[in-house]
Amino acid sequence: MKTFAKLLVLGALCGLASANWAGALAADKTQVIKDRQSLMKEQGGDLGAIKAYLDDKGDLAKATAAATNLTETMKKLPDVFPPGTEGPNPEGKFAPKADVWSDWKGFLASRDTAAAKADTLLAAVKGGDKAKIQEAFADMGKNGCGGCHGKFREEIKK
Amino acid sequence: MLAAAAPAIAADPAAIANGAYLAGAAGCDTCHTDSEHGGQAYAGGRRLQTAYGVLTTPNLTPDPATGIGSWSAADFRRALRWGIAPDDSHYLPTFPFPFYNRLSEHDLADIKAFLESLPAVARPELKGAGSTALLERARAAIAVAATPLPGPWQPDPLHDAIWNRGAYLVAAIGRCGDCHTPRTQIGAADPQRFLAGTSAGPDGKPVPNITPDREHGLGNWSADDIFGVLTDGHTPDFDFVGGAMAEIVKNTSRLTETDRRAIAAYLQSLPPVSRPATK
Repeated sequence: MKTFAKLLVLGALCGLASANWAGALAADKTQVIKDRQSLMKEQGGDLGAIKAYLDDKGDLAKATAAATNLTETMKKLPDVFPPGTEGPNPEGKFAPKADVWSDWKGFLASRDTAAAKADTLLAAVKGGDKAKIQEAFADMGKNGCGGCHGKFREEIKK
Repeated sequence: MLAAAAPAIAADPAAIANGAYLAGAAGCDTCHTDSEHGGQAYAGGRRLQTAYGVLTTPNLTPDPATGIGSWSAADFRRALRWGIAPDDSHYLPTFPFPFYNRLSEHDLADIKAFLESLPAVARPELKGAGSTALLERARAAIAVAATPLPGPWQPDPLHDAIWNRGAYLVAAIGRCGDCHTPRTQIGAADPQRFLAGTSAGPDGKPVPNITPDREHGLGNWSADDIFGVLTDGHTPDFDFVGGAMAEIVKNTSRLTETDRRAIAAYLQSLPPVSRPATK
């Protein structure tokens, strides 16, 4: 009977713990998605700063800082796509496709491509030649960001 | 014994250049190249997942046996304007011929001249693992039958040259309406909602409203913003378009700056349609 009581208590505790654990996981997932969104927004902001310089609306120092930051945030991308975090972004407009996780190798390859283009963009910005920066910016947009979004992101029906 | 016939008229470099430009902007090579397996450009072989099963794109190089080398000018015109192959079979609208229907005779001929100038690639015909999909094919036939195919796009004398260029590019090359115009019940494009977006586009995914509606479309975008997305895919808040549009941007980015700005000017002139893309 004592063993049975112990087992009951153990079972109850496990039940409580798993309820908390599931709750914690859910909270984690929400946080991950928020972090993912802010990382993407940060990258957008950095690209905006580079475009501002190209359009004579911003300075080269800001563009250089932005391009440098972009190469840094590229490294963090896989961290904001852990398994189990599918679901729409906080604005409810986009969601990662299931392919992100079913084709993780492909996803990382797209990230690597984008990261390489971010490196090229940084080199171009440091070089100061606007034509080269424009070319690197377009390549980044179309084949870096766009390359990954084309394969691994979808708009959601509301 | 097949002997290569000497061309009666030497190919015009200007025609080939214009044809190459238009084919690039229309993205013919996007569908007609098996990039995934390192296929030659325009030699076909890309397998498209469609409602009709898996369709394999044809070889557009001038190989007489496996490409379009034996096609006459009339064959080419019939295929692009009316979606009818030389053997009288009909193309499914996966090949967006209702849009190429609007090409001028001159541009149509130039595209053929360009394709003829390509190296001939003999690629064995790969049959798609298509399903019979009778219902879908019947639906497509009805939709195409209900689609006006008026032929070459006519310039509007009430608008300037830039507007007309933009309108022509959207109608005949960009085929924007293929995704961005919702369909009527019968499956044809809804002329009342031109470019107003849909909740279920060709991918089954929502496609944005690109009319100048302030709430649901691009009404808050400047001409530069539209030019921007056609150039490298960036939106005003520096998101970068994804989904099927990412591939399209690779094509629109091949247009000249003037042509991209013409499209922007044309889009901004359209009647705003407030239908949200979700309906």
